[in-house]
Amino acid sequence: MSTSVIELDGVVKRYQSGEETIEALKGVDFTANRGEMVTVIGPSGSGKSTMLNMIGLLDTPSEGSVHLDGRDVTDFSEDELTEERRSGIGFVFQAFHLLPMLTATENVELPSMWDTDVDRRDRAIDLLGRVGLSDRLSHTPDQLSGGQQQRVAIARALINEPDILLADEPTGNLDQDTGATILDELTRLKEEEDIAIVAVTHDEQLVEYADREVNLVDGEIGE
Amino acid sequence: MSIRDLLWQLPSVGMAWRNLGRSRVRTALATLGIIIGVVAIASLGMAGVAIQQQATSNLGGIADEVTIRSGTDSTTDGVTQEQVDRIRDVAGDATVIPEKTNSTTLTARDGSERFVSVTGLTRASTLYEVSSGDNPDRLRSGALLTNSTARQLGLEIGDPVEYDGQLYRIRGLIESGGGGFGGGSELVLPLSALRDQNYYDSVTIVASDGDEAQRISDAVETRFNEGDEEILSVTSFASIQENVGSFLDTLNLALLGIGSISLIVASVAILNVMLMSTIERRGEIGVLRAVGIRRGEVLRMILAEAAFLGIIGGFVGAALSLGVGLVAFEVLAGDATLVFGWASVRYLLLGFGFAVVASLLSGLYPAWKAANDPPVEALRS
Repeated sequence: MSTSVIELDGVVKRYQSGEETIEALKGVDFTANRGEMVTVIGPSGSGKSTMLNMIGLLDTPSEGSVHLDGRDVTDFSEDELTEERRSGIGFVFQAFHLLPMLTATENVELPSMWDTDVDRRDRAIDLLGRVGLSDRLSHTPDQLSGGQQQRVAIARALINEPDILLADEPTGNLDQDTGATILDELTRLKEEEDIAIVAVTHDEQLVEYADREVNLVDGEIGE
Repeated sequence: MSIRDLLWQLPSVGMAWRNLGRSRVRTALATLGIIIGVVAIASLGMAGVAIQQQATSNLGGIADEVTIRSGTDSTTDGVTQEQVDRIRDVAGDATVIPEKTNSTTLTARDGSERFVSVTGLTRASTLYEVSSGDNPDRLRSGALLTNSTARQLGLEIGDPVEYDGQLYRIRGLIESGGGGFGGGSELVLPLSALRDQNYYDSVTIVASDGDEAQRISDAVETRFNEGDEEILSVTSFASIQENVGSFLDTLNLALLGIGSISLIVASVAILNVMLMSTIERRGEIGVLRAVGIRRGEVLRMILAEAAFLGIIGGFVGAALSLGVGLVAFEVLAGDATLVFGWASVRYLLLGFGFAVVASLLSGLYPAWKAANDPPVEALRS
């Protein structure tokens, strides 16, 4: 078995909503390995987003543990989690979430913008080339199509050479064909960069590209 | 390296610059608030300085003088020679001019009479300026007479005037009220003309400047007067200047206070603008945090936005205030270039600094709020 990049172990997440406590995750075990694309599917309200937040170290579990690259990060502080996200995790969102006042290149640079890394500009340009946007370097998001914006977002997710790329409905705002090119892109990068990709989706098309799928129903992993 | 590259050397600053460019109207309005505040502070401050300089130049030379007379507790009816000598000790390098005064009636050729005050002193040239004739350093013979009196009596330079049975030749004509409180008509004679009077009526000390005058005045006071006793009455115009000065300082402070209110209003406006814009960008800031931008970096970015508003507003405000200052100094002090003196330039710096500090303070809360928003919550919005 290849090394697991991320591991959730009996993760429970409870939310306080007014008077009642909602249990969004009820003891989830999950692992993702390098070079593997895993899709998490399930109806809305099943806890997919909460699970992705756990994997992405955006939120901490109420019970259970989270391991990143074999290290226990469950009790990390917000600042420590930020460092882990910065160095080890890439995010791709459904709504792309590019910053409108920055060019494509600057958006890709964004996660490493505050680092005194001189060649980040070159790496950003290289990454944009690899997602087929060499001729769109100085375009701002409003000058790009949805598919192009999502490819910029993928390049941004890869700038810090992460071990794991998390995608929340990456094809949700795209048409069928554009979605297919994005998924081809992700599959290729997964192999080239030897990273784990965890994608949350409703999209049947995406499931076809996955090496493995996980069904989440009502906060529990089903078969 | 282009300016753009330079800007991005500090990512917080580069990001802040772009963010401000996104809603130019809002940025411009927030900056306008700051500009008005700075103009209010700086130009009111500079106008105060202009008023102060004008008042000081009007008080001018008399601030350097100290006048000493016999006090209420003195046993003699005037200042004694021995006291004058001791005053000279205290005064050091300053010029000490003892005077005797009296009055007399001068008669013209046509028989008309004129009442004049008589001042006897030696060093006439220090206290009087002649408009014609000569003005000896040491007046030993001859007389000085006020211009208008001479005209009324039909007297000219070289004509004799009589005092106490003696004749004195007019050597120079002086402007009325040329020194001290001579008033309208004044006849200045050598000290020897009033030798019948044992005591001096007043001693005038002319110091090099107002501060020196004040020092001498204080020294004479402590040397001659013990406790509440008043052997010598000391009048220093320096203290008058000081009083006027401290009044003007108070006035200036009041003007600055009024100016500051407008800057406080402006900083509340900035607080509002920054708060609105961070709330609007909540999701975006969530993305920044999600992709690993540290809290401190988000904080710096938003503080840099506030600082930009302050710096731009402060700079434009200071430039406009300089214009207002030029006009104020031209009108009040008669010389527009005086605005470049430190006394007024510091108000430009004060206004600018105040603008930057107020903007940073206003940015602090929105920046802190944005930086500490949990990324999960922010992304959901």
